[in-house]
Amino acid sequence: MIEVINGSFSYEKSGVFKNLSFQVNKGEIFCIVGPNGCGKTTLLDCILGILKLDEGEILINKKQIKEIPPREIAKEVAYVPQIHTKTFPYTVLDIVLMGRASHMGIFSSPSAQDRDIAGQALELVGLADFMNRPYTQLSGGEGQLVMIARALAQKTPVIIMDEPTAHLDFKHELTVLETVIQLVRQTGLSIIMATHFPNHAFYFENNGINTSVALMDQMTFSAVGRPTEILSEDNLMSLYQINAKVVSCLLDNNTELRQIVPLNTVNSRVTFEEGCKI
Amino acid sequence: MVIRKKIIYAILILSPLICIFFSLFIGRFPLSVPLVAKILWSKLAIGSIYLPDKYDTVIWEIRMPRAILGALVGGSLAISGAAFQGLFRNPLVSSGILGVSSGAGFGAALAILIFNSTSYTYIFAFCFGGLAVLLSYLIGRVYNTTPAIMLVLGGVIVSSVFSALISFAKYVADPYNQLPTIVFWLMGSLASARYHDFIIGGIPMAAGITGLIAIRWRINVLSMGDKEARSLGIDTALNKGIVIICATLATAGAVCVSGIIGWVGLVMPHIGRMLVGNDNRLLIPASLSLGACFLIIVDNLGRLITGSEIPLGILTALVGGPFFVYLLKKTKGGGW
Repeated sequence: MIEVINGSFSYEKSGVFKNLSFQVNKGEIFCIVGPNGCGKTTLLDCILGILKLDEGEILINKKQIKEIPPREIAKEVAYVPQIHTKTFPYTVLDIVLMGRASHMGIFSSPSAQDRDIAGQALELVGLADFMNRPYTQLSGGEGQLVMIARALAQKTPVIIMDEPTAHLDFKHELTVLETVIQLVRQTGLSIIMATHFPNHAFYFENNGINTSVALMDQMTFSAVGRPTEILSEDNLMSLYQINAKVVSCLLDNNTELRQIVPLNTVNSRVTFEEGCKI
Repeated sequence: MVIRKKIIYAILILSPLICIFFSLFIGRFPLSVPLVAKILWSKLAIGSIYLPDKYDTVIWEIRMPRAILGALVGGSLAISGAAFQGLFRNPLVSSGILGVSSGAGFGAALAILIFNSTSYTYIFAFCFGGLAVLLSYLIGRVYNTTPAIMLVLGGVIVSSVFSALISFAKYVADPYNQLPTIVFWLMGSLASARYHDFIIGGIPMAAGITGLIAIRWRINVLSMGDKEARSLGIDTALNKGIVIICATLATAGAVCVSGIIGWVGLVMPHIGRMLVGNDNRLLIPASLSLGACFLIIVDNLGRLITGSEIPLGILTALVGGPFFVYLLKKTKGGGW
C-alpha cells in the first residue's frame, strides 16, 4: 500500500533521516519506535504529503506521492495527531464530519450521507452517545477516540497515528489500543503508528495482528521486522541505552504474552539488588 | 434538529429586515406611522396617491439607504470577524486584525489632505485597506506558507505603521478644516449614506459576504490548524486566501462608507457563539444577521439620543459593552 524507497529528509542543513526504505501492507500495523527527536513525526509528515523528501520516493498504491494532489492523498491516508489543540468547542459530530472534507467540493457542506458515515465512525470507536457533546469537555482518551473516528470517516485504507496514547492513563491507553486492533480486524485497515512504547508492538502481536516494528535511530531504521525478532534486549540497549528484560509467559488460552520490562539506564546510579530475578 | 435549524435561519433572515423596517419610523423629521405606511404603499401602487415630495425623500432617499447600508456594514464587520476568528484559531481576533481598518483610515485621511474634500475618501480608504492586508500577508509569508501566527504578527506591524501614518496626517492637517474632517471620519458614521454608496461599498461587501457564506464550512476545517486541515485533504493556501480576500472585501467595503467602527467585528461573533454554537455553518450567518441588527439599532439610537448625531464608533462600544456583559451573565458563556 505504502512504500518508502531510499527516502532522505533534512531541515535546512541538519539531516533528519537518510536512505530510509520500508513498506506497509494491507491489514498491517507498522510501529515506529525510537528516542525523542529521532524524526518519527517528520517521517510521518512526509508520508502525509505535508513535507517533501529531499531524495528518494514515497509510493501510495504504486503512485508517486509528488504527483497526487493533497485532496487525493487525503482519500488514501488519514491522520490522528499526537496533540490536538482544542480552540473552539465544536460538537463531537462536527469534528468527525471534518473527516469528510476531501470528499466534498470547496463550497459545499456535509450532506446527510456524510452525517451517516460520521455516525458509523463514532459507533466503531464506541462514542455514538457523545455525538452532540462539545468535544472540549471530553477526557483525553475520549478526545483521542474522536480523532480516530474522524480519521475513519475519511474512509482511507491507511491511517497514520502519531503517538496516539501520549498523555493517556492506563485504561484509556488500552482503550485506544483495543480500538485499533478491532479496526484492523474488522476493516482490514493498515496503520502506521509512531510510539514511545515498544510494548505496544508486542501488544498488537500478542493479539494476533500482523505487526512490524521499525527501530529508528541515527537517521535510519536500524532494524525492521516482527516484534519478537526485533525487540530484543540487545536492540533496546543500543536504541535507548537501557537495560531491559523481555519476559514472556503463557496465558490460559495458550497464547504467548511478551512484554519488555525496563530495568535501568546504562549510566544509572540506581541498581537492582544483587540476586533480583525476573 | 432540522426544524430547529429552519426556525433559526428564518429568524436570522427576518430580524435585520424587521430592524430596517422599524428604522424608517425613527428620526428627527416627524412622520406618523400611517404616513410611513402610505409612503411605502405609494411606491408599490404606482402614482395613485399624492404625497409631498419631502416625505418621499425622507423615507426613500435618507432613511432607507441608511438602514440598508447600516445592515450591510454591521453584517460585513461581524461576518469577517467570525471568519477571521476561525481562520486564526483565536477568539480575540476581529475584522481589523490584518490592518484593514488602519489602512483604510490612513487612505481616508490622505484623501482629505490631498483633495481638501471628502469626495475621494471612498476610493482611497478602500484601496489602502486592501493594501494593508496585502502587506500583512506578504510579511506573514515565510517559506511559501503562511502560518496564522505570522499573519497576525504581520497585521500588528502593518496596523501600527498605518496608525502612525494617521497620526502624522492629523499632525500636518489644517487644524480648522481638514483635522476635524479626519477625526470625524475616523469615528465612523452613516450620516452621509446615499444610494451611490452602494456602488462603491455595497458591491465589495455583498461579494465578500457571499463568498464567506459559501465557504463557511471550510472555516471549521481550517480552524483545526494547518497540519490537520491539510491531512484532511484541504488546500490550505487556497482556502485561507479565499477567506482572507472575502473578509477583506467586506471589511474594506464597510470601512470606506462608514469610517472606522470598532467592537462589532470582535463581539458580534461571540454573541453568535453563545446563541447558536461554534459550528461556522450556523455561526457565520448568525454573525451576519446579529451585526446587521446591532448596527441599525445603534445607528437609530445615535440619531435619537441627542440633537446632533453621536458618531457610531463611540456608541457601538458604549451600547455593546453592557449588552455583552448582560448576555454573558445570562447564558453563562453558553459552553463557550
